[in-house]
Amino acid sequence: MTESTLIEQPKRIGLKRLKAREQLTGYLFILPALIIILIFGIFPIGYSIYMSLFDWRVVKGPFIGDRNYLMIFGSWKNVGIVSAGIALFYAGSKVWGKAFQSLRNGQKIARLIGALILILGGVVFITGWMQMYETGNSEFLDSLIVTLYYALGTVPAEVIFGLVLAYILYQDIVGKEAFRMIYFLPYITPSISSAVVFQIIFSSRETSLANQFIGLFGISPLKWRFEPRPVLQLLGFNVSGIGGGPSLALLTIIFFGIWSFIGYNTVIFLSGLGNIPKEIYEAAEIDGSNSWNRFWYITIPMISPVTFYLTLIGFIGTFKAFNHIYVLRTPSAQNTVITASLMIFDRFYRANQYGIATAQAIVLFVIILGLTLIQNNVLGKQVFYG
Amino acid sequence: MDNIVPVDSIPTKAKNDGKIGRIFGRAILYLILIIGAIIFIFPFFWMISNSLMTLGETITRRLLPQVPQWDNYRQAWQQAKFSKYFLNSVLVTLGTLAGLLFTSILAGYAFGRIDFKGKNILFGLFLATMMIPESVTLIPNYMLIRGAIIPLPGGTWINTYWALTLPFMANAFSIFLLRQFFAQVPNELWDAARMDGCDHLRFLIQIVLPISKAAVLTVLLFGFTASWNAFQWPLLVTTRDTWRPLMVGLYGFITEAGPNTHLLMAGAVITIIPILIVYFLTQKQFTQGIATTGLK
Repeated sequence: MTESTLIEQPKRIGLKRLKAREQLTGYLFILPALIIILIFGIFPIGYSIYMSLFDWRVVKGPFIGDRNYLMIFGSWKNVGIVSAGIALFYAGSKVWGKAFQSLRNGQKIARLIGALILILGGVVFITGWMQMYETGNSEFLDSLIVTLYYALGTVPAEVIFGLVLAYILYQDIVGKEAFRMIYFLPYITPSISSAVVFQIIFSSRETSLANQFIGLFGISPLKWRFEPRPVLQLLGFNVSGIGGGPSLALLTIIFFGIWSFIGYNTVIFLSGLGNIPKEIYEAAEIDGSNSWNRFWYITIPMISPVTFYLTLIGFIGTFKAFNHIYVLRTPSAQNTVITASLMIFDRFYRANQYGIATAQAIVLFVIILGLTLIQNNVLGKQVFYG
Repeated sequence: MDNIVPVDSIPTKAKNDGKIGRIFGRAILYLILIIGAIIFIFPFFWMISNSLMTLGETITRRLLPQVPQWDNYRQAWQQAKFSKYFLNSVLVTLGTLAGLLFTSILAGYAFGRIDFKGKNILFGLFLATMMIPESVTLIPNYMLIRGAIIPLPGGTWINTYWALTLPFMANAFSIFLLRQFFAQVPNELWDAARMDGCDHLRFLIQIVLPISKAAVLTVLLFGFTASWNAFQWPLLVTTRDTWRPLMVGLYGFITEAGPNTHLLMAGAVITIIPILIVYFLTQKQFTQGIATTGLK
């Protein structure tokens, strides 16, 4: 490189040229990564939008504008109603949140108004959703609900268990390294390989391990991965269909998700705990606080940036989840385990409807963007950055 | 992580818990940890023990095989055509890692230590790609690899080595991780090196990289895992055995092995072994890498 000759006689060359050199080096260094990320990471978004505007089945068909999207939503009016519901919901939560900061006498009224707007937002949202469900692609909308179940079933459990395990490990535990290593193991294991084991543990045979285990508690054998009925229905509630909550088959997949992901959260939490200054704990202890209070009033707020980060990537992760669901799904579980990413893949890979699949993918992407913004706005505000 | 003083070793002023209560409390903590460990380990135990059983034993659901059937591994290896897939996976993973390290070390260094125009915007753009689900990129990338968007040398890249490696030779996460690490290298080092006539590339190779082993190994472990475990994309772009990797092979073996649980489990164990080896080798640096990178 000519750069070394340049450095050898720095005085002869003007500062400006030196800076230009620096710039050029910077661009050269990022160039390889930039090319790959542009081609395989950013260009596809634009091309997906392009494809979604055509009747594209393997090869490009005629331009059909927003028809693929209309097939999902029924009409743009429905989208408007649903968005209005979300906007109201968001505004309501803002008013509610503001109520805590405003003057004492205004609090009650502000909260009341906030609550009313929240309820209104909910009603509007559900109205729009129902209309969409009737006139649009209920299959895809169902897959969004399944994704939501999957997210709500996995992320909070992963975060809570991860924090608890990390906090315990942080307490001068003998064999801490070994425990951490074991906890992280499921995360790095190929999900196809571990899902194969879950397939066998949660098989519908009477002698399957899961059935033998619940047999210890006097519960009769279940069909696990093959059970499309909602868990609540199995417990005796009068519900059915996708709206009745996650099916037992989905719950099995949720178990897998939690099992494979807790260790990652534990490791990240553990490194986060190490960053909390120990003086704070010492001061609290001198003030006579017990260990529970220290956990609740010091650890939880101080660790909140990590919690926020893990919640965010956890949610994004559930929208991406594919491999283990693909292996663990069964035909008899029907659509109760088909999350959005599987739905899109099936449309593309099995049905060869590229146009519809890309339209669905774009909708999913917009939802993820929206959720990230909301999470940043609502949760991010409550994060304590010491 | 040795410098962390655990909460419990801080001298307590108010010792209201009795000694018995303390021991009891500790016992509960250990109990939770051990139950957790059993839950995490159990599927692995089950996989290994089943892989050594006879077909009859897998049906009667014994916990351990009476006589370990080591021959299961040979049978699974042959029936699932693992020798081909295994080699494919190794070559694909090595190629991907070489590319990944090359691009992300350079980019991580540039973002962490060089000033250039538009740096923050570009970095933001890179980070934003972490949010994009594969569902969105999958279809256009497939079209691209098939040669349906721009003409590719050789017509189509389906069933080629490039299809499996090239798209994964850079990612935002690795760049981010390395950037965090490189940015912490003291400026004095760079000043001194520059005095000696060192340019960025030499500084990076001779000084920054040797002291960043933990971060590089962390990227390596994550990269290895991602490449070795990849399934969705290889499933799409390999229609023949030529470059089909192990995970797609194992997936095919699920239906092929059918009720032969013991062979399927032996196959699963085989696919995990390389990951375990890499994990145990990099374990220490990896933990350190996560800790020092600081996710704040």
